[in-house]
Amino acid sequence: MAIWQFLLFILLVLLQVWLFNNIHVFGVATSFVYLDFTLRLPVKMNRNIVLVLSALMGLVIDLFGSTLGLNMSVMVIVGFLRFYLLKLFASRDIYEDYVPSFQTLANFMFVRYVGTMTLIHVVILHLIESFTLFDPLRLILRILGSFILTVLLICAIESINVKGFKE
Amino acid sequence: MRNLVLFILKNIHWLLFSLLAFCSFYLLIYNNEFQRSKYLSAFQEMAGKVYMVSNSVESYMNLKTINSDLMQRIAVLEHEVRDYKKEVETLSELVYPMDARKHESVYLNAFDFIQAQVVNNQISRMGNNYITLNKGALAGLKEDMGVLSSNGIVGVVVNVSPHFARVIPILNPKYQPSCKIKGTDYFGTLSWDGKDSRYISLKEVPQHADFNIGDTIITSGFSTIFPEGVLVGTVEDTFKKKGDNYNSLKIRLFTNFSALSEVLIVTNAAKEEQLNIEKGENDE
Repeated sequence: MAIWQFLLFILLVLLQVWLFNNIHVFGVATSFVYLDFTLRLPVKMNRNIVLVLSALMGLVIDLFGSTLGLNMSVMVIVGFLRFYLLKLFASRDIYEDYVPSFQTLANFMFVRYVGTMTLIHVVILHLIESFTLFDPLRLILRILGSFILTVLLICAIESINVKGFKE
Repeated sequence: MRNLVLFILKNIHWLLFSLLAFCSFYLLIYNNEFQRSKYLSAFQEMAGKVYMVSNSVESYMNLKTINSDLMQRIAVLEHEVRDYKKEVETLSELVYPMDARKHESVYLNAFDFIQAQVVNNQISRMGNNYITLNKGALAGLKEDMGVLSSNGIVGVVVNVSPHFARVIPILNPKYQPSCKIKGTDYFGTLSWDGKDSRYISLKEVPQHADFNIGDTIITSGFSTIFPEGVLVGTVEDTFKKKGDNYNSLKIRLFTNFSALSEVLIVTNAAKEEQLNIEKGENDE
């Protein structure tokens, strides 16, 4: 399990740094695929570990993108809130540990879980970012665009997973 | 006492959250200082290597635009060379005392250039653009050196590690050099609005400054970073905020930031001297 998470961490960092940081659809939508790492940590994992791992992910993305503190602060907040959101979306009567996915959460629930997490992430990130340059209309466009793109990409990765790794 | 310990243990996630949040906000607020700090340069070496992989792919894809850019630039320079040759010929016929020319050249030779390649260039997020170059302290790069492309201004070196350097481009609101309209002495501050990487605005130009659409904007040479006359762009449009005493100009940049690969770093041998004398004046 641990190795699988570790590989996912590196893969997502490289994807984000090499590919998705450079893609800006219509100049407004940027995808934050690295969020998938936090989404995909096991449900029963200690929340402190989830928090630290999320923060670490944000910090690494920051170091590559020269945006020190930006992604990290967002990931700290998202990593903290994940526990409460999982309470909402994951059914509690399953006792064994599992990774959130299309299979383990009923389809609709998984999309809602991803959607809520992404929305929180994107809104906070753009609010912090807009301290340097403020333009309300563009801010809303960027939040909406990034939200849609990120949710679509995370669901796309998930569907690759479903087809590829289903034994 | 035992209850207190239990309470803290039970709510340790809050403590951890506050701690991490504090750290990240601290980084966020003191971002600029950290960019200049030495702690980062170790990581920068690593990041530079990671970016070199993606750059090797990208540079092939950009070759075509770069070639055409270079050809155009060569054409312009050849014209200039021809003009200068003529000028030299006419001038050399007049007899100048040789000493006077030698003194002039001390200033002219103060600026030298080092060539480097861009390994990472993200013109993306508002306010947070940086460029990584494949040369660092070992090649003689230092902080606060100017960076040019074959077409015009790029930015300033902010941090160097042994093999890489990080550049803050003019497409980052944190860096606002002063520039002027070619042929006049009216100057203003360049600043980017975070929207389009092809345009930049020149702010705080006096209202009475006369200029035309299409005029060239060059660096003012007030700082020790760039020599005077580095090309920036052409005036595309002008606008003025209500109640503002200054004009703002929309500038079309000569440098194509989306296909940047070869750059020149400006070294200024007379920099120390200039800074020292400026400092001396302030002390009095």
